[in-house]
Amino acid sequence: MESSPPPAQSPKSPSSPSTTTSSTGTCCNCGGPTSFAPPPQSPTGWPELSPPPNYRPVRAPAINLPPNNNSQAIILAPVPQSQKVPTISPPFLFQSPSKKIHSPDDIRAFHESETCKNFLGFVVALSESIRGRKISDPCHESSTTTKIASILETLIHWIDEIPPVQQSSRYGNISYRTWHERLIENSDSLMLQFLPDELKLSTVEIVPYFTDSFGNSSRIDYGTGHETNFAAWLYCLARMGILKEEDYQAVVARVFMKYLELMRKLQLVYCLEPAGSHGVWGLDDYHFLPFIFGSSQLIDHKYMKPKSIHNQDILENFSNEYMYISCIAFIKKVKKGLFAEHSPLLDDISGVPTWNKVNSGLLKMYKVEVLEKVPIMQHFLFGWLIKWE
Amino acid sequence: MEITRNRIWLHSKNLEKQGRAAKIEVPLFFHSTTPSPLWETSEIQADLGLNRRRRGSGLGEMSDLDRQIEQLKKCEPLKESEVKALCLKAMEILVEESNVQRVDAPVTICGDIHGQFYDMKELFKVGGDCPKTNYLFLGDFVDRGFYSVETFLLLLALKVRYPDRITLIRGNHESRQITQVYGFYDECLRKYGSVNVWRYCTDIFDYLSLSALIENKIFSVHGGLSPAITTLDQIRTIDRKQEVPHDGAMCDLLWSDPEDIVDGWGLSPRGAGFLFGGSVVSTFNHANNIDYICRAHQLVMEGYKWMFNNQIVTVWSAPNYCYRCGNVAAILELDENLNKQFRVFDAAPQESRGTPAKKPAPDYFL
Repeated sequence: MESSPPPAQSPKSPSSPSTTTSSTGTCCNCGGPTSFAPPPQSPTGWPELSPPPNYRPVRAPAINLPPNNNSQAIILAPVPQSQKVPTISPPFLFQSPSKKIHSPDDIRAFHESETCKNFLGFVVALSESIRGRKISDPCHESSTTTKIASILETLIHWIDEIPPVQQSSRYGNISYRTWHERLIENSDSLMLQFLPDELKLSTVEIVPYFTDSFGNSSRIDYGTGHETNFAAWLYCLARMGILKEEDYQAVVARVFMKYLELMRKLQLVYCLEPAGSHGVWGLDDYHFLPFIFGSSQLIDHKYMKPKSIHNQDILENFSNEYMYISCIAFIKKVKKGLFAEHSPLLDDISGVPTWNKVNSGLLKMYKVEVLEKVPIMQHFLFGWLIKWE
Repeated sequence: MEITRNRIWLHSKNLEKQGRAAKIEVPLFFHSTTPSPLWETSEIQADLGLNRRRRGSGLGEMSDLDRQIEQLKKCEPLKESEVKALCLKAMEILVEESNVQRVDAPVTICGDIHGQFYDMKELFKVGGDCPKTNYLFLGDFVDRGFYSVETFLLLLALKVRYPDRITLIRGNHESRQITQVYGFYDECLRKYGSVNVWRYCTDIFDYLSLSALIENKIFSVHGGLSPAITTLDQIRTIDRKQEVPHDGAMCDLLWSDPEDIVDGWGLSPRGAGFLFGGSVVSTFNHANNIDYICRAHQLVMEGYKWMFNNQIVTVWSAPNYCYRCGNVAAILELDENLNKQFRVFDAAPQESRGTPAKKPAPDYFL
């Protein structure tokens, strides 16, 4: 599994190396010149098979962090609350969204913005909509949520049509790129399957969130940033009034569950690498939101407590109905070794007395560890629906 | 800035030659831009005042170090104050190493470890204990795994105890930036309740050498080659005592990958370093009169992998990487005649692994 540096401070066009090959060496055997062909100067020079990234990420200057004594601040921080999503009204000024966050200052500005509070409030509202409910519980299913779930089902079928290639050595499978290309090619038409006529022009704005929701094709990886993009895409639909509050339970139980099924299949079939994972010290290699939604499902459950994740019977019997349980079962399936060693955070959380505390803690953690992290949020897109204020 | 740093460096070297207290200058190398309060000059003076010349340390101190090594071998981390003292001693040794550190055969070459402590113990079981076996580790000691602290400190303690028997060079994860994203930072915070140990360790990362040259024949580096480098002498002139830069020769050595489908140079999907093809390797090996390049940096499911007609080999030493990849690991043993023997090994079995101590839930859940 390859790592990549914390990505770009700012999108940059590909740059040539700072030092070039102008210094011609001399071979110590034959005395001939030893300079190579120069490295690529422009995107056009690259071989077909290794498409270049469209920017060359540059890491932030080295810093020593201030001493970490903010534990009091974390404990006292308020639990994020749900918010209503304000719907748009004409004139519709859809625009191609772009990246705006480049520095810790930008992140601070983002955090004070209504945009951020409302987006996080939307996530909380989704979490509340599934509180105390099983996946199979009946819920209002609109034609839109049904359509979106079927679109995700289509993406799952594509995986079967694009089998992983036989390759040695490398972990991430390059067939994922073929799958991702098909996603890009078809995204507009997929959106048009459910967009009402007056909102068809929104594709210019919502497609980029959608195509960034399933991983990065050049690095063959996936992480919480991509997952956040999917939530942002859903938020855009809520902003346009296509998803209403009465749909939220179905958004979690039908749409998000389907998304999770798709992502797990992509992860397993194409061996997606965890993007910027904190290794064993992250919550999970890939996901965050299913733990939020899943813990909400279990609030006030009659007998399942946070420590119940250590009970194999519970994992086997309740994975279908409870997202948190299914996430634990999935981790135990794909990882070998002691749970406390490969998933110490989840192990520690199992000692929290109630699911309510788990849910509120995860919401606080999502805000700090995902929405306040430059390496993740620098890829987040802003347009007319999600405004950069 | 560069010039200033070089001047200080030269100044210190000269003082050293004159037998004066050159080490007092050392703190100046730390972050010329952001001086760290953890390495106050006065403290270092006090510390070094008690210190004998580096390889002739007194017996008392040595047995202390031996005790620490025994403790670390049991996967018990050191106290914060011990980490600090150990890093100071290691700094004295590492600062004198070349960017292309000379290594004699026989030696056993190891790739990425990534905090997989019990798997590293398997490695030592397969390869023999240090100092009986000489080792060259190609970097990426930390991040991802559960035991980065114990892993790195054991290697560092062995380095201080047996400086001529074990060589540690820098990987792309031996960096402040990367460790904040891939786990080592979180681990230090979780295990020590503060980031001081992370600071000591990341400060010492700046002193790790960039590459090694075994018997003038085998060039070893974590990542690969750089378009800015054609000769080993060019590597020798790099001022390495800094955070891994975003680009340039030092960055590329730690980040680049060989790639079959690239002819010449290609941009790396990692976002740092380059992809380089077979012709680049041939030219480099020919120009520097070396037999082959040995590097790590990429997971290979079979533990090692030759490329470009045996001109470069990848060695990977973290079995079942990230607890999920199902790969085997390998080390490369070279005898005194540079004959090669790969030893492949699996992850440590469950019964030989310790159980992590249970911790209270993170602050978010209080």
